[in-house]
Amino acid sequence: MKKRGKGVGIIFYGTGYGNGFPDISKAEAELQDDGKVAIYVGATEVGQGAKTVMTQIAAEALGLKVEDIIFINEDTMVTPDSGTAAASRQSYNTGNAIKKAAEALKALIVDKAVDKMKLNTNIGLKVENGNVFVKTFPSRKISFKEIAEDYKENPLKVEEEFIAQTTEMDEETGQGAPYWPYTFSACGVEIEVDTETGIVEVIDGVLAQDVGKALNPKLVEGQMEGGFAMGMGYGIFENLNLKKGKMKNNSFTNYIIPTALDMPDIKNVIVEDPESTAPYGAKGIGEPVMIPVAPAILNAIHDAIGVRITETPVTPDKILKALK
Amino acid sequence: MKEINLTVNGKKHRIKIDENMRLIDLLREKLNLLGTKEGCGEGECGACSIIMDGEVVTSCLVMAFQAESADIITIEGLEKEDGTLHPIQQAFLDEGATQCGFCTPGMILSAKALLDKNPRPTRVEIKEGISGNLCRCTGYNKIVDAIEKAAILLEKGGN
Repeated sequence: MKKRGKGVGIIFYGTGYGNGFPDISKAEAELQDDGKVAIYVGATEVGQGAKTVMTQIAAEALGLKVEDIIFINEDTMVTPDSGTAAASRQSYNTGNAIKKAAEALKALIVDKAVDKMKLNTNIGLKVENGNVFVKTFPSRKISFKEIAEDYKENPLKVEEEFIAQTTEMDEETGQGAPYWPYTFSACGVEIEVDTETGIVEVIDGVLAQDVGKALNPKLVEGQMEGGFAMGMGYGIFENLNLKKGKMKNNSFTNYIIPTALDMPDIKNVIVEDPESTAPYGAKGIGEPVMIPVAPAILNAIHDAIGVRITETPVTPDKILKALK
Repeated sequence: MKEINLTVNGKKHRIKIDENMRLIDLLREKLNLLGTKEGCGEGECGACSIIMDGEVVTSCLVMAFQAESADIITIEGLEKEDGTLHPIQQAFLDEGATQCGFCTPGMILSAKALLDKNPRPTRVEIKEGISGNLCRCTGYNKIVDAIEKAAILLEKGGN
């Protein structure tokens, strides 16, 4: 017999290293000969879209197009340390460092523009599309490229760092504020349990994620759908089967991860509530997107068959045992 | 050593191979076609998928000598000579169907083999068509979106 059930999971997650551990990202911004700006960060792109959103952040801060940002990352020979691509911290931490570096370079370019245009002050200047100009007299302008000509030997370059605010928890009481910022998500699923075979199928899903501000909604959705699939794998498929410290399920034949046929067409809900300390309000979401999924599925299994299972993954053998 | 003849991406080759060489090694090491990725090496993940005589095969499980006289398409064979992307590749970019990219070549070739036979598949048919290709990043939804979009682009007269 097939039994259907619905379930919800709701979580909050502290991004960054947390618990007082130094969480530092550095970034450099450098004006190029052609008026473009190079950003150097040690951040790693693993497909999550770090290069894209970080380029967007730099472009936004400098008033340039994304094509005019040369983004250099991962090469430790030339980039400063931006910490690991872990703890859902890169958009927030390194994003903040990039924004600071881009703004500092912009201020430096404006100062040089004041000298070069022989102005009295930097008040009332605007930076747009690679030009610095007097707001009330727009034809009085100078381009980034013209400014760069004076610094061919020694390009204008700044380095900034961002340190996230985290405090250590009290060891005795467990009290404190170990993370900042926190992010919130909720997941709802409908599942079907086959009581003959014990197989659980996730037939529908919705995932809502608080992102602060979605710098790139399509990338956010990609993270959400990926997180849903990973959470589903964690909930009902993926079993390392450790025996005396050895993985018994060490191939895709027995370590089952979701295929396209297992993944329902989920609905993504992006919740925006800009975070004041974040670059343009954006918080990290890489990990939180997967966390509410398994609890939602286990709650739905309870709804379907009336048995509460407390161990993941809920493989068919566990369902059949629970039904006896 | 053994010599075989085969066509790869429209080009004829006559290649010396070891009898125990796999097709994926022939493609990557003899022809330097590095777009074909080796994931699990045991035919489970689909990263090394290529099209051989119209069918998708995992090139890690095919011996090179079995490709005698075969007509093979790898990911490098999809874009036009002027660098224009194949509509499936373009749709993958447009829909954000790629994250780390490791499954992408195999995924796109499975999509091509599907669309060659079934130009307007349903979403379930698309999911079946790529169910032999594992993706750890995307959760597949955007890949299915991209293949749906590619079907429309191809119908409007892509290559």
